[in-house]
Amino acid sequence: MPFGRLFIVLNMNGFSLFSVFSRNSFIASKPDPSKPNMLRVGLAFGSTAVLWALLFKQHSTDVHEYKTRNGLE
Amino acid sequence: MGLLPDEAKVLPPPGIVNRNSVWFGLCGWATAMLHNSLNRRPALKAGLHRQALFITVGWFIGYHLTKFENYKYATLDRDMSEYIRLHPEEFPDKGNSTWKSSRIRVLISVLRFSLY
Repeated sequence: MPFGRLFIVLNMNGFSLFSVFSRNSFIASKPDPSKPNMLRVGLAFGSTAVLWALLFKQHSTDVHEYKTRNGLE
Repeated sequence: MGLLPDEAKVLPPPGIVNRNSVWFGLCGWATAMLHNSLNRRPALKAGLHRQALFITVGWFIGYHLTKFENYKYATLDRDMSEYIRLHPEEFPDKGNSTWKSSRIRVLISVLRFSLY
């Protein structure tokens, strides 16, 4: 019982400090599509942009290396 | 290149749009749409950030996979050419090829296919 209260207190700020596989039915809620988790959305778009930038940089490096090694430029 | 040795840089790099990138990107998109459907969300209109991320991850993996594939094919071609150069008696210019040379060519083309 006191452990359950401690768990509720630790969840007051919205995210749990324990990574548990089960959810406390007192504070769990259905995911609401009208209130997106903007942190996660921002991270997803941010990592998308980072990956595209890495890809284009790697490609230009590869093209430059190819041209240098084959004496084309 | 993490998996590739230095000599692989001599090969022409694949374009940004290449066969593996397109395929893995489409697979990533299909995964995101399946994730939407299984969570009873509209397949195309929901979770655009997820769709974009999965497509990008697939595209990225596909590009490096194409580079790896090109290197592996190039090494096989080099080995085959070197064998042909060292054993010219098995690959006469005129007439039919010998049984051994045709077996070697088939073996090498099977090895190429076994990369999949």
